Amino acid sequence: MSSMTALWISIVLGSCAQVFLKKGVSPQSGSTPGSAPASYLTLLRSPWVWAWGVCFFLATGLWMVAISKIEMSYAFPMLGLGYLLAAVLSIFLLKEHVSFRRWAAIVVITLGVAIIYGSA
Amino acid sequence: MGGLIKTEAMATGGAVSLETAAQEQRPEALRLSWAWAACGAILLASCGHLLIKLGLVAALHGTAYPGLLERILHYLLQPAVAAGLVIYGLGTLLWISAVSRRNISFLYPLTALNYVLVSVGGKVLFGENISTGRWIGIAVVVAGVALLQLSVTEEKA
Repeated sequence: MSSMTALWISIVLGSCAQVFLKKGVSPQSGSTPGSAPASYLTLLRSPWVWAWGVCFFLATGLWMVAISKIEMSYAFPMLGLGYLLAAVLSIFLLKEHVSFRRWAAIVVITLGVAIIYGSA
Repeated sequence: MGGLIKTEAMATGGAVSLETAAQEQRPEALRLSWAWAACGAILLASCGHLLIKLGLVAALHGTAYPGLLERILHYLLQPAVAAGLVIYGLGTLLWISAVSRRNISFLYPLTALNYVLVSVGGKVLFGENISTGRWIGIAVVVAGVALLQLSVTEEKA
């Protein structure tokens, strides 16, 4: 696998991980941690939390594959693409409303990522 | 820093006085300022990423292992990679400590500083040639993260 493929997949999986975790710990999914530490174990019953773990693990591994070859000043700011992916995923999976102002900010971040992508 | 604190106080309004009151009840020695915790978290996260890269680059020039598992272990056991992962973990703990004392919406844009720090580190440690175009891209990403924060504050108000 090329370093660039590893970087792209790492960014996508990293964003998925965040949204999956949010889905897993949200009250709607019926596995919210209470004040007692023992109740955190109930989180392990949520498939979303497991999905987070797998995505997080793979994203970290692929990130290491990517940065072993790619310049840091290129690979790291590319992670900004995660803002766009997380927003899109949160609309579908979490039914979140993303305001116009927030979309505007996300467009600016994505534009910055595009400029960095072009700077390779 | 004074200006930052003032802006935050205006943004969160009444919540600040409550928070300050709670903090004053703690013994002096246990009080780690949120600002130090946040700065420390950001510095440690950036250092962690750079150390991991340092170790990986060293491993690439070392022995080549045929098996995938051996190769992964060889990478993870590089002193710089292991140290980088630990430092990154410590940074996360400091971040949690900062977030527990200040609004996440106030602190989160500070993480955009990581983009600048890691890039500067790439230039200094690995001799990366950062073009003006790339710096502009990084600046636009940081500005976008700041805008994102602004949109959250205004939606709450």
